[in-house]
Amino acid sequence: MKFAKFLTLCCAALILASGANAQQKGKKGKGPAILAIPEVENKDIICFALYTVHDNTLKLTAQLYPIPEGATKTVRLEIENDGKWVEAAKTEAIEQGWTAPFRIESWDDSKAQKYRVLHGSEASYEGTIRKNPVDKDEIIVAGFTGNSIHPAHGGDISRQDLIDNVEKVDADVLFFSGDQVYDHHKHYAAWLKFGRDFGEIIKDRPTLCLPDDHDAGQPNLWGESGKVSTLPGAADGGYLQPGSYVQEVERAQTSHFPDPADPHKIGQGIGVWFTNLNWGNIDFAILEDRKFKTGPAGRVPKQGPRPDHIRNPEYDPASVDVEGAILLGERQLKFIDQWAQDWSDADMKVALSATIFCGGAHIHGSANGRLHADMDSNGWPQTGRDNALRSLRKGFAFHLAGDQHLATIFQQGIDEYGDSIYSFCVPSIANLYLRWWEPLELAPNHKSGAPKYTGDHLDGFANKVTNYAAANPEKKPAGKILNTRAAGFGFVRLNTKSREITMECWPRNVDVTDPAAKQYPGWPLTISQFDNYKPPSWGKLGEVTFDIENPVVQLIDAETNEILYTVRANGKTFSPGAPRGKTFNLKAGKNAPDTIVSKEAKVGSKPITVTLQ
Amino acid sequence: MTKLTRDDLPLLFLRLGGFFCFAGWTWVHFYWEAPYGILLWQDATYALADRLDISWDEFVGSGANDGLIQKGIAQIGWLYLICGITALTVRKKSWIQMAILIGGSGLLFVLSYAKYLGAQEQLPMLVEHGGQILMPVILVLALTAGIRHRITTTAAIVAVIMTFAGHGAYALGFHWPTPGNFFGMTSLILRVETETARVILQIAGVLDLLVCIGLLIPTLRRGAAFYAVAWGFLTAIARPLAGMSTELNYWGADQFIHEAILRGPHFIIPLYLLFLWKRSDSADTFANLDTLPQQSTDTQPCPP
Repeated sequence: MKFAKFLTLCCAALILASGANAQQKGKKGKGPAILAIPEVENKDIICFALYTVHDNTLKLTAQLYPIPEGATKTVRLEIENDGKWVEAAKTEAIEQGWTAPFRIESWDDSKAQKYRVLHGSEASYEGTIRKNPVDKDEIIVAGFTGNSIHPAHGGDISRQDLIDNVEKVDADVLFFSGDQVYDHHKHYAAWLKFGRDFGEIIKDRPTLCLPDDHDAGQPNLWGESGKVSTLPGAADGGYLQPGSYVQEVERAQTSHFPDPADPHKIGQGIGVWFTNLNWGNIDFAILEDRKFKTGPAGRVPKQGPRPDHIRNPEYDPASVDVEGAILLGERQLKFIDQWAQDWSDADMKVALSATIFCGGAHIHGSANGRLHADMDSNGWPQTGRDNALRSLRKGFAFHLAGDQHLATIFQQGIDEYGDSIYSFCVPSIANLYLRWWEPLELAPNHKSGAPKYTGDHLDGFANKVTNYAAANPEKKPAGKILNTRAAGFGFVRLNTKSREITMECWPRNVDVTDPAAKQYPGWPLTISQFDNYKPPSWGKLGEVTFDIENPVVQLIDAETNEILYTVRANGKTFSPGAPRGKTFNLKAGKNAPDTIVSKEAKVGSKPITVTLQ
Repeated sequence: MTKLTRDDLPLLFLRLGGFFCFAGWTWVHFYWEAPYGILLWQDATYALADRLDISWDEFVGSGANDGLIQKGIAQIGWLYLICGITALTVRKKSWIQMAILIGGSGLLFVLSYAKYLGAQEQLPMLVEHGGQILMPVILVLALTAGIRHRITTTAAIVAVIMTFAGHGAYALGFHWPTPGNFFGMTSLILRVETETARVILQIAGVLDLLVCIGLLIPTLRRGAAFYAVAWGFLTAIARPLAGMSTELNYWGADQFIHEAILRGPHFIIPLYLLFLWKRSDSADTFANLDTLPQQSTDTQPCPP
């Protein structure tokens, strides 16, 4: 009888919750956002423009409102030269999504140049192609994720604070890690809104937007190389929306990226855009961590209420690391390996992807939603995660991502804690779905006075992670729907002179230049570039002194010939870290490691002096 | 042994419709996750906990453990199971069993409302669940008012119209966008490209809406009901047909079969109507069968 009463109470609560919910919606008008394509005059038909410059090639995509029937589809790009506008390129707007992609080779990136996009005789949209900031010591990347526009999450609140702060710090690169669009059916309308909200800062600086699950029109995305998904939630892998829809999304968000490293298309004619962008001597790898990933439904033993959720803390993590499950895929791993070795015009490396390589949250959706593991994170499949991290750490890459709806800093571990890269997951612009990093036990290396959740932990997939910060939201629905939901944005300051990386994590509606403004607890955090591959168990080879500044150094296992890492040294000396008990060959060079400078070196070897000139 | 009457078979259809619907959702509750989450993490729910004088941690859990709501939701599957069994066993004069079925209808409404909220409040999502929500009500009406009573058949017609109107609105994709998996299932089963799938879905959408009209026109209703049976069945089995694969654990049966089963009312209610509206409606058809218990005859005939 007690059980029956309890069950009745819960049903009653659920029904009352429905009623209360409906009543509240009626009162506050907090329904979903209404998305429409506004009618604009011909002079305003160009909504915004995105660009990148890489390897002296400018790629710019103008985003237009619908061109009226009968009007020309030709869109022109002009560059200001000595005070005069000169036509540099023209193209036809692509009707499905109304994008106009331009490409100009032999671009002189040593000076800033004004541009304007023109359509017909009336429409003009101006911006500036910046000079490549190779002479700046500090490159600032502004990081954003999760652009919910729904009023229930504060998505209807103006983005002006974000615009103002980006302008104040004069960020060099904008990075939107995903979910720029939350509407699953009207990407074009939502993308135009995104452009109206952010176009003012996008038009004047290189911008990278990675289309993630919601952009592609689904709640989660395991792309499985373009398979068709039919399962609600899409955990069977593939895309829920037709291929043509996904192509339109990717054309809008990525057609201005540098050319793809490996352009072969995947299923349903969907393109591939993983590549790199070198800007200000920072080499950014732009990764697709969703497109090739295997869907978990039916592939892994069921461990929870959803195919991608693991509730059972007693489960065997190895049981879900099934053979054949893919994360980045062979093509992309090959690209990362090559990218990690190439230090031409690069002082530091940054990997950009939708999300981080671990299960970075314990509680999902609501305060009672404790999950042991979430296969939507890049903590799964574990073998794929380890392969990705092994490749990325070979270039001492710092990792910037989003998607988790929870800002965190982790140092990833593979074989031991702290033996791989740092990752910074930025907070959502407006937070649709709450998550918390809240391990049940204190870390063995937890420092007194530090938040309880920091330190060494195993995530739900038994991946080793070290947490440094987490911007957990309030535990109860708390009314103030931006910052109580831990909304915000991040800045990453990459100092090419000191090789330091500073992560900043700001709440919404603060002035970051105001000394009284506070970041989320745990930020800022500054690390060295070289911390991204510094296993605690390693020792040091003897210090190497070069006759040139900042040579590129490569460490190779003398027995297996495997490249452990390649990096640009800072200054004329470098103390290579290396595993104990093995021998290594060391190569170096001005821009590429083309000269063997040390053979059979071991931890504790004597210092050497090397001539490279 | 009692003889089977002409009304036993349509009543059996309704019992099976109710059973399938509740059984499918029971599977969702016990094996997967029912879509109530969107109802819970709301200021309104917080206020409700306050009104009930229950602490928030006690109500929704502390994060380290489950709260009242979480534990309760996990057990709602039992109610669905009871409703499913009741649909098969309910007797005419058992008011408790009928009250359970009406309660089941309420549970289906709450669940459908949660799905409607999850779908960004798209009206067709709520409307298309009308068939499932009304299924137990139709069964109760059949037992109380009569299997051929005007009110029973009217409720059944409304249920079919709701299912097909919601489905048709989505398939047409004019005001409410066509769900991506409609394209996926069409493309995979018929092996056609997206644009062809779009045309097929739009034709299906028009036919869905014509069914809704046809059911209201006496001369067309048999054809409309026949189409509704066929299309309701095909769209229900489309889920496992498109999604199951020998490469998946259990061939993916645990992911997809219940999706077809819980949609039982989509073809069973029109099947019930089709049976009532058949041309040679003779009691003799079943006069010699003796496998089922006798049910009552109705007090009022079905309208012509």
